[in-house]
Amino acid sequence: MKDRRERSFRAARAALPFATLALLFFVPEIAGGGSIVYSTCVTIAIFAVMAYGADAILSYLGEVSLGHTIFWAGGGYAAALLSTRLAWDGWLTALAAVVVGVSLAAILGLATLRTREFVFSLVTYAAAIVAFEIVFNWQFLGGSDGVVGIPLLTLTSPVGDFTGGSNEELWPVAYALLALSILFIHRFRRSRLGQEALMAQMNPDLAMGLGVNIQKVRLMVFVLSAVPTALAGWLYAFQRAYVGPDMFEAYFLVFMLTAIILPGRRVLFGPVLGTAIVIVQQTFFSIGGDGDKIILGTLLVLVLIVWPSGLIGAFRFALRRLHR
Amino acid sequence: MSSVLACDRLTVRYGGKTAVDRVTLDVPAGRMVGVIGANGAGKSTLINALAGWSRGRPEVEGEVVLGGEPVSGLSAYRRAHRGLLLVPEGKGIFGGLTVEENMALVRTPADTRDRHAFGEDEIFALFPRLRERLHHKGTALSGGERQMLAISCALRAAPRVLLLDEPSVGLAPRLVLELLKRMRQLVDLGLSILLVEQNVRAALSVVDDVYLLERGTVVAHGPAEEMREDKRVVEAYLGRSDIEIAEPGSPHP
Amino acid sequence: MILVQQFINGLVLGSGYALIALGWTVLLGAARLVNFAHGQLYMLGAFVAWFVMEQAGVPYFVSIPVSVLAVALLGAFMQASMTRLVMEQNLTSLMIVTLGFGYMLTGGAAILFGGAPQTLDSPLQGMAVRTGGVWFTLQDVLILACALVLFAAVWLVLNRTRIGAMVRAIAEDPKLAQLFGINAPLVYLGIFVFEAATVALAATLVAPRTPILTSMGFEEVILTFMIVVLGGIGSVGGSLAAGFGLGMFTAFFGTFVSPAYTTAAAFGFVLVLLSVRPKGLARR
Repeated sequence: MKDRRERSFRAARAALPFATLALLFFVPEIAGGGSIVYSTCVTIAIFAVMAYGADAILSYLGEVSLGHTIFWAGGGYAAALLSTRLAWDGWLTALAAVVVGVSLAAILGLATLRTREFVFSLVTYAAAIVAFEIVFNWQFLGGSDGVVGIPLLTLTSPVGDFTGGSNEELWPVAYALLALSILFIHRFRRSRLGQEALMAQMNPDLAMGLGVNIQKVRLMVFVLSAVPTALAGWLYAFQRAYVGPDMFEAYFLVFMLTAIILPGRRVLFGPVLGTAIVIVQQTFFSIGGDGDKIILGTLLVLVLIVWPSGLIGAFRFALRRLHR
Repeated sequence: MSSVLACDRLTVRYGGKTAVDRVTLDVPAGRMVGVIGANGAGKSTLINALAGWSRGRPEVEGEVVLGGEPVSGLSAYRRAHRGLLLVPEGKGIFGGLTVEENMALVRTPADTRDRHAFGEDEIFALFPRLRERLHHKGTALSGGERQMLAISCALRAAPRVLLLDEPSVGLAPRLVLELLKRMRQLVDLGLSILLVEQNVRAALSVVDDVYLLERGTVVAHGPAEEMREDKRVVEAYLGRSDIEIAEPGSPHP
Repeated sequence: MILVQQFINGLVLGSGYALIALGWTVLLGAARLVNFAHGQLYMLGAFVAWFVMEQAGVPYFVSIPVSVLAVALLGAFMQASMTRLVMEQNLTSLMIVTLGFGYMLTGGAAILFGGAPQTLDSPLQGMAVRTGGVWFTLQDVLILACALVLFAAVWLVLNRTRIGAMVRAIAEDPKLAQLFGINAPLVYLGIFVFEAATVALAATLVAPRTPILTSMGFEEVILTFMIVVLGGIGSVGGSLAAGFGLGMFTAFFGTFVSPAYTTAAAFGFVLVLLSVRPKGLARR
């Protein structure tokens, strides 16, 4: 009897992430619908997907990648250039975004293969700034003006064609992308690669002793982490109908880190939660662009100095206190 | 006899595990006190806690008194300023700095009323090797030279009490006795020393008092002559058939 | 003649770069700390000087110590709030925290000083020396002189004084340093304040050459990073040489190849170097 209850409890626990995920779809509806709600939700979904890429590095590899804006912009530019110049549709541009993201990550990953800690962070950071300079100066990529006039997102399928004109229409796509990213991280955490990455972070000597090829693990995780971020950039291009060198701005970098750190590292739903908090603040409680920068920076600093395990960590701590 | 360093029910925990359990200990002025015990008995944890120092983050409870004043709340460098000098196990010097620079790091306190700061001449008289190696980097020194340098640095800081954590590790047996003998000379000149040593035989030959530590608690305590006869010490550390203790001066078997 | 002119340009650019990197060289090499807000401290150094010149009407040479002092205080505050992370040597968190600080400074400076480009006016910038077809300003001479003097001073302090030995000891083993009676958090504070002060000084000297914006700072971090890596992490002399090298490269590559891609080209070189030698061009 007890055993059965235990088992059903466990099953419920295992199903919880999936139930939460399913519920997320109805959030805009529950929040009252309307265009501002839908645009906020789509933005949250896109930014959260962007952050999930960086999350794979920060939470599971224990390194700070400051180069993820490269993959974010890479996905965005792939979508923008191929849809405007070659009239590729949604599927093809998405594929291209992934290819571009993965290739750039492979190059950067190989170049930083033997670097660690601050050298790794600085190289990725420098790479992002250099990439910005190249994009900014190269007319072929639109130069400082960026790429304008991106057509509506179209996805053809046997069931019927989809066109994302408004944010409300884009929501299912954004949601699907978010759900896939969360499932991806969920799978990754349980995968051998995820376990090895964690081991390499916590105890590199032990990992090596157990035959883990740390450099290979790091490279694989780095390359994989570019996929969600590039796809987020892809959808961002269609949402804004414009991409420009501003996709390299430090804002996105600080945003990704805050979205991960604020709720606490290594939490499956952390980046969505963190993204939602920051985007809601910036959309509905903004104190001006520069003021919002101060808020974002302060959040990051405060959490790490005062409570490094973040909001979820604080919540768990409070729960344990209550139980006692 | 007045006490120079004492602790009362000192307890040290690492992440909930108790490594040192309510240890009460006393170092009388001008004496050499030994703490002996097996590997993992908590000797290093104890001596580090007395100095307020640790590589990890232990929780420490209990009072530590230095020359009549409580120092429990002070961080390691403040205790060092007050004359509580620890020479840690293993690496006790900076490899990237020369012998001279290592020694210059220590500032002799301005107020040394009841303390004696060892000058360069005294140190070189004690360890002539160091004079020859003055401009060598720490990494170029042998194990014994490093240990001498670490002790010299502590002596320059005018110690009230010197805490030595396993000075014999990595030294040839002959050097161990040599080193301990010199420490004994310092005590005879008035210094107080607390020595943690795994080489029980060597330790017993130089110290005045002995504390036997097992699983974090003091299981026996007494003058060295008595402890040499103590059944637990003999069985665990000296061996039945071999009760004869080598004289400090004689070559080690 | 253009070669000589570019050589002079490279010399000046390089000494500016080296000055900007000096504080970081000590911070990273000697104390094993990082500060991603370095570029923003540079920005702030320039703007505080500009602000007191505009608002209080003080002359340029008075604005320099004011700016250095203000930024040093800010550095002290930053370091004080990070003491626990520093003592734990938690580099990952330190990187992110300093990045957050930098972002706060960008936002705060934009509110305080406005978003428009400004000029930090140095009287020496207007005094040009023209001789034999080449020219430079007295400000350029000041930058070069300051770089040489400061680097020499820092090298002497690090290698020939007790304070220098303390800094090197802390870099090697902050815990052990405590047993030598060294107050490690205080030394860290000193190093961090030094870093903030020197980058502010560098800003007040270098910034008069170009317009200043509150959004600047990222370029400076990358330049600094490249210099520190090329110079062999932590080597003071190496950083000076790397600064000059990078300055020469910028001057010649910018003139003869493409000014837009100089940083990219230099970075490409550093990247190749790092994939071969992950710890930079250290002595060993």
